[in-house]
This record gives sequence, structure tokens and C-alpha cells, in this order.
Amino acid sequence: MSASTVTQKSTAGPATAPHTLVAEFASADALVRACEQVRNAGYTRWDAHSPYPVHGIDRAIGIRATRLPVLIFLCGATGTTIGVLLQWWTNAVNAGVQFPWVPTFLQGYNFIISGKPYWSFPANIPVIFELTILLSAFGAFFGMLALNGLPQHYNPLLRLDRFRRVTDDRFFISIGLDDPKYGSATRRLLEGAGAAAVEIADDVKESAPPRWFLRAHVMLACFLLIPLAVIAYMRVDKQSQPRIHIVQDMDNQERYTAGKQMANDVFADGRSARPKIAGTLAREDFTQDPHYYQGRVGDQWATGIPMYHPELQRLAGGAAEVNEQLMRRGRDRYAIFCSHCHGLDGAGAGRVATYVVQREIGFVPPKSYADPDVLVRPVGHLFNTITNGIRTMAPHGDQIPVADRWAIVAYVKALQRAQAATIEDVPTEQRSRMTQPK
Amino acid sequence: MASIVHDRDNTIETPGRRAPLVTGGHDLHGVTEVVCRVAESRSAPGAWYLTMGVSAALLAALGAMIGYLFFEGVGVWGLNNPVGWGFDITNFVFWVGIGHAGTLISAILYLFRQKWRTGINRFAEAMTIFAVMCAGLFPGIHIGRVWLAFYLFPLPNQMAMWPNFRSPLLWDVFAVGTYFTVSLLFWYMGLIPDLATLRDRAKTKLSAFLYGLFSMGWTGSARHWHRYERAYLILAALSTPLVLSVHSVVSFDFATSVLPGWHTTIFPPYFVAGAIFSGFAMVVMLAIPCRALFGLKDLITLRHLDNMNKVILATGLMVGYAYTTEFFVAWYSGSAWELFAFKARAMGPWWWSYWIMFSCNVFVPQIFWFRWARTSIPVMLVVSVLVNVGMWFERFVIIVTSLSTDFLPSAWDTYWPTWVEAWTMAGSFGLFFFMFGLFCKFLPMVAISEVKAVLPHDAHAGGAGGHGH
Amino acid sequence: MASHGHTIDIFSETRRFERTCPSALIAAVIGVAALAAGFVMKPGGADLRQFMNSYLLAYLFVLSISLGCLFFVLIQHVVAAGWSVVVRRLAEQIAGAMPLMALLVIPIVVFRTELYPWLNPTDEMKHLVEHKRPYLNDTFFIIRVAAYFAVWTLLSRGFLSASLRQDANGDAAISTRLRTLAAPSLILYGVTVSFAAVDFMKALSPMWFSTIFGVYWFAGCALSGFGFLALVAMWVQGSGKLTRAITKEHYHDLGKLMFAFVVFWTYIAFSQYMLIWYANIPEETRWYLVRQSGDWWQVSLALLLGHFCIPFVLFISRHPKRSKATLFIFAVWVLLMHWLDLFYLTRPPEAPEGLLAGTGGGIPLHLLDALCIVGVGGLFWAWVASALARHSLVPERDPWLKESLAFENY
Repeated sequence: MSASTVTQKSTAGPATAPHTLVAEFASADALVRACEQVRNAGYTRWDAHSPYPVHGIDRAIGIRATRLPVLIFLCGATGTTIGVLLQWWTNAVNAGVQFPWVPTFLQGYNFIISGKPYWSFPANIPVIFELTILLSAFGAFFGMLALNGLPQHYNPLLRLDRFRRVTDDRFFISIGLDDPKYGSATRRLLEGAGAAAVEIADDVKESAPPRWFLRAHVMLACFLLIPLAVIAYMRVDKQSQPRIHIVQDMDNQERYTAGKQMANDVFADGRSARPKIAGTLAREDFTQDPHYYQGRVGDQWATGIPMYHPELQRLAGGAAEVNEQLMRRGRDRYAIFCSHCHGLDGAGAGRVATYVVQREIGFVPPKSYADPDVLVRPVGHLFNTITNGIRTMAPHGDQIPVADRWAIVAYVKALQRAQAATIEDVPTEQRSRMTQPK
Repeated sequence: MASIVHDRDNTIETPGRRAPLVTGGHDLHGVTEVVCRVAESRSAPGAWYLTMGVSAALLAALGAMIGYLFFEGVGVWGLNNPVGWGFDITNFVFWVGIGHAGTLISAILYLFRQKWRTGINRFAEAMTIFAVMCAGLFPGIHIGRVWLAFYLFPLPNQMAMWPNFRSPLLWDVFAVGTYFTVSLLFWYMGLIPDLATLRDRAKTKLSAFLYGLFSMGWTGSARHWHRYERAYLILAALSTPLVLSVHSVVSFDFATSVLPGWHTTIFPPYFVAGAIFSGFAMVVMLAIPCRALFGLKDLITLRHLDNMNKVILATGLMVGYAYTTEFFVAWYSGSAWELFAFKARAMGPWWWSYWIMFSCNVFVPQIFWFRWARTSIPVMLVVSVLVNVGMWFERFVIIVTSLSTDFLPSAWDTYWPTWVEAWTMAGSFGLFFFMFGLFCKFLPMVAISEVKAVLPHDAHAGGAGGHGH
Repeated sequence: MASHGHTIDIFSETRRFERTCPSALIAAVIGVAALAAGFVMKPGGADLRQFMNSYLLAYLFVLSISLGCLFFVLIQHVVAAGWSVVVRRLAEQIAGAMPLMALLVIPIVVFRTELYPWLNPTDEMKHLVEHKRPYLNDTFFIIRVAAYFAVWTLLSRGFLSASLRQDANGDAAISTRLRTLAAPSLILYGVTVSFAAVDFMKALSPMWFSTIFGVYWFAGCALSGFGFLALVAMWVQGSGKLTRAITKEHYHDLGKLMFAFVVFWTYIAFSQYMLIWYANIPEETRWYLVRQSGDWWQVSLALLLGHFCIPFVLFISRHPKRSKATLFIFAVWVLLMHWLDLFYLTRPPEAPEGLLAGTGGGIPLHLLDALCIVGVGGLFWAWVASALARHSLVPERDPWLKESLAFENY
């Protein structure tokens, strides 16, 4: 194959037109030497092809250094910026609520964890670093592909059988027939430069990818959109059915229920509902006092605080009426259990309430105690609300002992009174302090 | 194809003359043939079918174990309070570590111009990807409520609250995720020219289509090579700090705590050294059967194995340095708890695992001081297996001993894995070897174009033309 | 190994100084004068303690450079590197100053009570120091220091003299032997440097501990060693020697190594800082608390910016590493930053109390710091320059030299 052969590939099938002149070389050194000659001859629309990167070919062809590093640097800087902003916005500040146009889930939420400051830069570095690397790598890979014009699934050169050895052991120069310098001298130049063979690669006129190939891509794209569509639908959809409960954990387990009179082999008498053990008292035995325990008198809400109860008297320091000590206790419990929603003044603007209202998370905000509806409620009703909850408010009966709930009720009444207070209510000796500017 | 196998030992390097990296006197076409015939052959060695069978069975076991875990909950594992991490995180750290050698070979050795990497980088990178897949499995399943695994990702919950970015566990997601992605890109980029080789040699329409699709129309253009090489160099430069960061972040999972035996500042570099150590052992373990089964002894030569064994020795010494430093500083710190934790490792209920770790990782590799051991296939096979055992136990020792005996003696408890954990672990090996087996059979196991670039200069001319198509 | 570069004949190069380098004598005189002036006159009302603090800082700075070059020599041998042969002799000679370093450590040993609180523990640290007594005791300290310098001298002089022997007889077997010896030598090197870091620096705060500390100092040693090596190579070329043998390709590689160790130092420093900051255990955190309180905060910040951010951004590209002028700036810069790093490691007070109260402000820079660096640095340079002048500047018959001369980055 050392003698240079010139062949015109015979074509069959679709109409073709000559496109590129391809010259084959046997070694990398021959390729580099030939490239220098082609470059010196002033060709512009040409390239060299080799099975591996040939040392010195860039200089021989005159390839200018790629701008890829700059692109990668910009991508990396973008990654750094995203890393900083993402962590700052979602963890370190609470600024999103100021902008109503920011969707709730993008608003961010600053919270303290393990005693670290909101903005803990050392702890933010790993994520910043990883995002920098990730985006730089995307820049390197996709940037390389884009600058190289890849993927390019059709190339006239690949229609030549001879050219297939470019990925094996042969070296090629390709010169486009549309090169301004192209002419009859071109072939002589290449042969003179030591080409083992020179051929022309044909291009198919009006080539297009097969139909099924395009259809497959469209179908794939649609398929990939399904999860997104489902997520979007689930975000806006309101459902009355509870969600599907795949894994039960211990939510719905087999158990003996009192109402069903079930048999149980564990006990000698076979009954699952056990009788009261002699000498013990049931919980209900203590709650025979509906006024104290439920805030009810008959079928009406109680209107007075059950100060007759020894436990309440104990909170009041032995007194049988509401006094300052009981009030202080109530204020104390109120601050702990109630103020985060109702606010310290009972106006309904506690930190949590304000927060969720701002974010529109579907939360019924607490009413002000000064609201006319609330003002008319008897104390028993207030007590019941604390115990069992109301609307979005959760029951607090499990958390606050009974007497403390009454103390809170007393304090809430005081807050209501305070909302409607005038200067007359302030003791005379302290009025001057109220009017003086601080 | 007439390849005369030269018996010349290329592990001895005369000063001033670099020993050849490819034996057997191959020219460019010879290299293509050696690598491509594996993928082009319609059959495979019997051992390959055996491996695939066993690993498929183990893979099925993995699926069954995860299914069982899914329905029953983490109670089927032996975890308890205080030992909330056991086999799961041990395996996670083990597999992530295995991956590191691949990146070291493809990136760090590239930056150091270690040309011998070309023989092994492709399948070491593949190993990285499969190992990281195995690793990624465990954090996903160890959370118990597997269907809530998306909580691991930076997504806001229903209260618009985002995950805590100050937590090392979230850094892990970013580090391992980035690592997997970048390794995949790096690996795939290296594959493009070689897939083009397979495309150009394809005999069937299907293989021509598939290899053609994934080789993206590569024609070996000099302008393409120019950008390709620059991108490759930069990807290598990016992967180098990345690979350091990944195991460092994994070590932060432990070291940011205050637990004795976990909180020590040498953890990041020590974990990285250990990861490279175990990863190289795995590469050696995989290279030995691969080069024998698929006829790659001319490309993955004894010199490659010799060099890898040297890296194993060096990293083994670094790991030994870290073990000793930890012990010394545990005493030097004067912290009673710290010292107790280390005494408990060496002499407590898990003393045997500590000494398996220490002997496999520090004593066993010392045999590689001897050249005969570095070039003896049976010796290196045994050592590489032992090193992997030792490195698995290192993670086990760190996790279990420190968790089981922390500050509060009344809360101490022991840990023993259940059969589910054992089979899950075995199943992860099934996943790994199954993926690796597929890779060996269908993709070029050695980087063809890179090996061609390091052939001796006189082999660079194409063949005399005696091998047409 | 296909090399397309042009190879020059090393024997056509100027490879030697004709006579003793005059700068060596001048440096020696200035060095002795500066140290004597500092020690005797103690300017600025300084006491012996201040002198010793400054001396320790200057000494560790120069020792780091020497140890960094020793590491360079060992690592090049162990991997049978080709590219570095043209600059290896320079590194061998810089590392070869170890006998001088052994001499210069004597003041530190003699006046150790001025430096190391564990010799005179306060009430607060008594308990812990008592626990550490088996390690931190007078006799063992002296034995260890002697052992470090025995090892370092043996290694540096051994590798240097073997290389010089090869100049004479051209025996390629020497390269093979040095390669074999370099591996165990690196183990000795690693162990001694780690413990020396504990003894010279960590023991300044005897209550503090960190497992990574040895690696931290090693990173600084390697960085400053490479920086100094690049400067010496420029100086040698500036005096008209090896003008064609050392090319921008070699500088590029030295630049890459410096850059890599800038990043490695940052990685190690960050690992140590982050873990201690995150776990927030009082006995560890106080060390950093001191360094973040009062005006020391500025030193910490300067280190973060100067030791990492600025060089990282400026020297990430290949171009500044391939130009002598910018590489010169890089090398000087990393040396300055390494000095600052050592200042930050050794100088802050043990206890944060005064700093937290805002009364301990001010960075205790002293005129003696300058005098000591001129003194120790001058003596060091005198040694290195005169050693360079005595022998060929390149291992001229090293079998890998040809590869080094033809070396080209891709």
C-alpha cells in the first residue's frame, strides 16, 4: 500500500456529492510533516485525524489555544456563587418572607442547630467546594463537546471505509472541497507530502436522521416529563382522601378493644377487658368534678374559677380567691405555652403565628383576646379550649396540669381586661410613669 | 495478528532508560486488537459466566434484603442505641474508599505524568463508578424509612424548611453526588475515542448503532483532540481536590462529633490515604483475573502491578502513621476518655477486629518491600484481599467501638450484625461484580488511545498494511 | 518515552562557579553580626525570652526550607523522576545545610526554659504536664532533638555525597541504590518531622493537642522548600550558570508543586480548623480562640487570604507559572506566607484571657524578629552559597539527566 492510489468511491443508493478530500498517512511523523505543508500552502478548511493525540500537531496545523479554561473558570465561579447563595438564603437568613412574590418553598428559614451561628462559614465550605467542582466539571465536559460540535452523528468522512482506520492505526488529513484554495494542486500536494492514499468522501444530499430516531427522542422527552407533571399536580391538588399508607409501622396494629368484648387466652377468665383490681382507683375517679376538670357546670360552661379546689388554692399560696400569686403563675405558664402563637399581649401576633401567616402555610391565625367573640366566652370555655384545642390550636391538656390551665385562664382574663384598660385603671401613684416619655 | 510475547521483565528499570509499558512488541493495530477482541468476541471465558452467575445471585439477595428491610424496618438489623451505625455505614465508607483508587489513577497519576496509568485507568475508573453506586446504596437504606430518602437532598419540606447545610451528612450528599457525577463524566469522556474504535470495527448493525451513538461522531480530529486534552487535564486537576474532599467529608461525619475515637484532626488525610490504600488493593485484585482471562497481560504488565503494590505499601505506611499518631495523641492529650477509647479498641471486646485491621493494613503490606513479593501474582492476590479485609475492619472498628462505649457507661451496649446485614453486604459485592463483569465484556477495558500515545516511538507508525478489514 | 524536545549537551553549559561565591562571605558576616547584636544589645527593651521567641521563629523558618528541600530530594529519588534532575543538586545543597541547622539549634536547647512552658508549668497546666512527663521531660527532649538532627544530617549529607560521587564516577548503580534507600528514608523523615513539630511548636502550648499537627508543618516545609528552590534556581541562572539547562518547563513544574502545596496546606489547615471549630471542645478550641481574639484575628485573616485565596486565584493558570518574573513573585510570596504561618503558630500567648478582655491587643512583632531572620538566614545562605560554589551545580552524570534536559510539559 506504499504506492499512492487514487480511487473514486463508487456510490449506490441515495444521491451523493463529493464533499471532502481525504489523504491517508502511515505514521504520526508523516502526518505532522504533511500538516506543515498544508498549512504553509494556506489552506483553511482542513483538519488532521489520528488514533491518539499526536504531539506537536497543534503547532503543525496552527491550532490556537482553546478558550475552554476560561469557560471552565466561569462555570466554577458560578458554582461557588450558587453554593454561597443557596446556603445563605435557605439556612442563614429569613429574608424571603419580605418578598411576597417568592414562592413559599423558596423563602428559606433561618434556624439554629447544634449551637452554630445561622451563617457558619466553615461548615458551609464543603458544599461550596463541591458545587464549584461540579459545575467546573460540567463546564469541562459539556464545554469540550460544544466547542467540538459534538455529538455529530453524521459525518461524510465516516462513509469512507478507508477512514475507519483513523481510530485504529492510520493518520489522515481531510480538506474540504469548499476550501478556497482547493484545486487540482491539492491532490498533488498531499501525494507529494507522502500520502499513502487519497480519496474523496461523498456527502449524502439532504441527509436527515431516521424518523424512528426522532420519534424515540420525542417519546423519551415526554416520558421524562411525567414525574415533573405528577409533582406539579400533587402540589396544587386538594384531596379529601388520606394518602396511601404503604408502610404501616405501628399505626394500625392488631389490638384488643374494650367495646368488642374480645377473648384473650392470656388470662384465666378469658376476658380481654380486665376488671378493676381491688384497692385501686381509676383515672375517672379523680375527675368526678366537672367544674374543675372540664370547666362545665351542668350543661353550661362554668363562669367562675373553681378556687374551692385545694390544688388551685395551693397555687394561690393557700388563698381561696384569685390573687397576685396565682396570676404570676398564670403569666409564667402563659409565656411558656401560649405566647409563641398568641403573643405576650394576647393580640394573636406571636412569633410562630406571624411567621406562618407570612408564609401562607394554611394556618388559621389565633384571634386576639380582645376580639368581641372571645370577650364574651365564659372561663369554662377558655379552659376547655386550652385542654382540647380549637381549630388549628392543638390540645394542651397533656402538657399543662389542670390547676395551671386555670391559672392561665385567670391570666387570659387579665389580658382581656388590660386590652380595654384606661389610665384610670392604673394606680394613682404610678400614673405619672405612664405618661412620662422614656 | 502475530504478537510475539516477550519474556522481558519490565519491572526492572535501568537508570536512564524507561522500561516499556507495553510488552509483546505491539504496534498501534496490535493494541486495538488486544483490547477490542474482548468486546467483539461472541463468547466469554467460562470464569466470566461463573462470576456473573454468582454475582447475579448475590444481587438478587441484595434486592431481597432491601425488600425485607423495606417492609419490616431497620429492626431487622442489629442496630441499637447507642450503636446506631453498624454494617450499613461501615459498608458505605468501605465502598466509597474503594472508589478512590480509580480517581487517583485517572487524575492524580495523570498530573504526575505517571504514564503507566494508561494500562489500568479505564477499568479502575469503572471500578470507581460501581463502588460509588454500592456506597450510595447504604445511606439510602440505612435511614429506615426508605421512601423518605429524598430528605437527603437539598429540598424544602412542607414547612418550607430546607435541610441543615451545617450538617456533615448533607455535605456527604454533595460530596458523593459530585464525585459520582464527575467520575462518570471523566470515565465517559475517556471512553469516547475508544467507543469510536469499536464503532469503526463493528460487525453488526446493532453494535454499530450503539457504539456510534455513544462515540458521538468522534473522528480523531486534531482540533477535537486539542480541546479534548485540555478538558481532560482540567478534569484531572478538578478530580484531584475532589477525591481528597470526598473521603475528607466522609471522615467529617465522624470527626465533627465529640465522640472519643471519632473526634481527631488527622481524620481527613488519614481517611483519604486509607481509601487509596484499599482502592489500589481492589484494583490489583481485579486486574489479576482480568489480565489473565481477557489476554491483557501485554497491556497490564507486571510493571503496572509492581507500581500499584508500591502505592499499596506507601499508603499502608501512611495509614500506620495515622494509627500510631492517634494512639500517641490520645495519650498525649491527657483526656481520659480519648485514651480509654483507644485502649478499648486494642484490648476491649472488639480487640480481634482491631488487630485484624492493624495486621492486615500495617504488617501485611510490609512484604512489598521485597521485589519478589511485588512481582509474585499469588502474593499480591493474597495481600490485596487481606488489605481489603483490613480496611473494612478499620471502618468497623472506628464506627462500632466508639459508638458502643461513649461517655456514659450506663448507656454502653454491644452490637452484633444480623443475617440480613450480612447478606446485604454480600449483595453489595454482587452488585459491584455484576456491573464490573458487564463492563469487562462490553466496553474497552483498557484505554486504547491512551496506551497508543505511550507506545515506544518506533511502534507509532501504522502497521505495514497486512491487516485489512 | 518519546521526546520531541531539543536536548542540549550539559557539558557545554557553565555548571560551576569559578571561585567561592562572594555573597557567602558577606552573608556570614552579616548573619553573625545580626545575631550577636540581637543577643547582646536586645533592642527595644527586649529580654532573653523575646530574643528566644524571635530566634525560634527565624530558626524554624530556615529549618523548614531545608527540610522541604530534603523532602524534594527524597521524593524525586523514590519515584525515579526524570524532569527534576537539573534542579536536584540545588535542593541537595540546600538540604545539605543540616549540620549548620544542628549547630544553630543549640541556643534553643540551651535556653529551652525561656520557650517551653512545660519546663515551668503554671498551676493551670501542672496536672496535664505531669501526665505528659514521660514524653515532655528534659532528658528525653534533648535526646529527641539530637536524634532529629542525626537523622536529617545523615539523610541530607548521605544523598548529597552519593550524588557527588556519581559526578565523579558516573556510576548508574548509585541512582538505583539511592532509589532503594529513599523509601525507608522517607519513613524516617516523616516520623522525625512529625515529632519535631510536636517538640518545637506544639509543646509551646502544652495543654493543646491535634493529631494532624505534624502533617501541617510538613505541608509548610515542602511549600517553603520548593519556593526557595525556585529562587535559588533563578539566582544560579542569574549568575550565568545553567542558563540553558533549566528551562521554563522546569520552573513550570516547580510552580505546579508550589501551587499544589498551597492547596495541600489549605486542606490540612482547614481540616484542623474545621474539626476543632465544629466540635467546640474547650481544651482544643482555646488554641484557636487565642488566634482569633484581639488583633490576632487579623493575622488569621491574613493567613487565610495570603496563604490561600490570593495565590490560588493568581497562580491557578499555567501562564504565571511559566514566566520567571511571576514565578519569582509566587516564590517570594509563599516564603513570606510560610513565615507568617510560623509566626501564627509560635507567637500567640498561651491563654486567651487578656485577648478576650480586649486588653492584649497588638501583634507582638519585634525588631528582634528582623534581626534574627537576617542572622539565621545569613548564616544559612553563607552555607548554601559556598556549598553550591564548591561543586557542580547539576548532577552532571546522572543517568536521568538527559530526560530532564529534554523535558517538556504537555
